Amino acid sequence: MTQYVIIGDGISGSSAAETLREEDPDAKITVITDEGEPLYNRILIKEHAKGKLPEAPISIHDEDWYAERDIELSLNTYVTSVDTDAKVVNTHESGEIPYDKLLVATGGTPTQLPVENSDADGVHHFWTFEDARGIREHAENADKGVIVGAGLLGIDFAAVCGAQGIEADYLMRGDRWWRYALSADGAEIMHEGMREVGVEPVFDSGVDHFETDDDGHVTAAVDPNGDRYECDFVGAAIGLTFNTEFLRGAGIEQDNGIVVDEYMRTNVDDVYAAGDLTQFYDVLLGERGQNGSWGSAKEQGRVAAVNMAADEEAEGFQWVSSYSITHFDFPFLSFGHPTLGDEHAERKYSDTEWRRIAFKDGKIVGGVLIGDLSPQSKFKQLMREQRVVADQADVLLEQSVDLDELAPPQEQ
Amino acid sequence: MTMAASTLRRRSLRLERVDSVATDATVRHIDQLDSETLGAVYRAVSGGRPVTTAETDLEPGEVIVFTDYYRVERV
Ligand SMILES: Cc1cc2nc3c(=O)[nH]c(=O)nc-3n(C[C@H](O)[C@H](O)[C@H](O)COP(=O)(O)OP(=O)(O)OC[C@H]3O[C@@H](n4cnc5c(N)ncnc54)[C@H](O)[C@@H]3O)c2cc1C
Repeated sequence: MTQYVIIGDGISGSSAAETLREEDPDAKITVITDEGEPLYNRILIKEHAKGKLPEAPISIHDEDWYAERDIELSLNTYVTSVDTDAKVVNTHESGEIPYDKLLVATGGTPTQLPVENSDADGVHHFWTFEDARGIREHAENADKGVIVGAGLLGIDFAAVCGAQGIEADYLMRGDRWWRYALSADGAEIMHEGMREVGVEPVFDSGVDHFETDDDGHVTAAVDPNGDRYECDFVGAAIGLTFNTEFLRGAGIEQDNGIVVDEYMRTNVDDVYAAGDLTQFYDVLLGERGQNGSWGSAKEQGRVAAVNMAADEEAEGFQWVSSYSITHFDFPFLSFGHPTLGDEHAERKYSDTEWRRIAFKDGKIVGGVLIGDLSPQSKFKQLMREQRVVADQADVLLEQSVDLDELAPPQEQ
Repeated sequence: MTMAASTLRRRSLRLERVDSVATDATVRHIDQLDSETLGAVYRAVSGGRPVTTAETDLEPGEVIVFTDYYRVERV
């Protein structure tokens, strides 16, 4: 009987556990998590923090779900190290757990701002349900906010401030939000969205340090220009640090994440990884990629489990990820790897509609759609087909995209 | 013909905007949907077009979090 151990009960670990049980009915499966609750919907916790969604619908599995599948779930159990020679996982609370095959699905932790008083009361980071509960409770009583981190997670803080009636300044380095994926035209639509909910973008800014009162509660953020922004609520989202410190000495190759092939295998026998923390071989990109999205993490967990159970290269990971922002009147969707590519095409259609496509070697590798999502499935299809289309960008930038207008694919 | 039309109608869904969510509701974020279902939700929300169960994996009664909250209703 094979003994599978999964570290992490986020969507990647949980989807792996479910798939392993389907693929290997007799196996022993253990899922270890340092959180105090089984899988919940991490992409909905922001709706809870906004005060819009009650707790119950955010939970995905209860403990019975694991029991019914004969999956052993260890809550509140922190993995301290892994011995890949002896094939054991060491934990704080449950001692040693032996494995035949191991999946590392431990995701990341928000990076703390490396500035004075960044651990003050009232400075929030956002990853767990517990974080969301704390943010909601505080946001309901806060008046003035500061947000730091001009990316996909920072904007969730802007939405929390907007929904909770907190007037906020959004301090950004550079001249726009998500400058790695958006031009000035696209970013301005997002800035307008922020302003409409009472969040003011501040450019060429950031945080030099925070000020606190005698009780250690944040009272202001001071930016590198010396400008002072009073606040009693701060949301910081400057990036993720991957949870791999327990792998020190385990011989697993890392490069800002765990390096895996398209079968989710690491360089060490019988050790796999899945989810946010992988640097995976992206067969569509033709090089290593990294995704930070729910759908991708779920699929990586499933693919890892299929290959673990088959003990061979049964299925490769091939996926176009997408990530939406739903906080404003207009929709926003980024897909694939919008920050990569060697060529770009973009067009603005109206004050709330904009599109940008990123190409590498003539093929679409990602993009961003604001306002009009209608071409998303066509662009994803072209990505999956790896069609060379950069020379026909005009067709892709038509308001209504008709793939029949593209020249037939050439033999490549 | 009449049979087919009525079967089709029975399988039609629409999205109803809602302001709040019951604690026992099933809720999914738009990023949990496959790209065909996402496309159908977008067309329904932006163009008011009905959705058929065949083209999507939407479940009647569930709530989808998009630019607003939408409950999936049988037509
Ligand atoms: C606020 C927020 C909003 C988001 N919005 C979206 C969105 O709109 N769309 C989208 O697609 N994605 C979104 N994401 C990203 C998405 O949630 C992640 O990509 C996805 O959840 C990653 O899943 P995972 O299983 O890889 O990692 P995680 O969900 O991070 O799970 C890893 C688990 O491992 C546990 N763990 C870590 N170290 C240890 C250890 N040493 N021992 C035991 N357990 C450990 C962690 O506590 C955690 O439970 C959002 C994320 C956040 C935080």
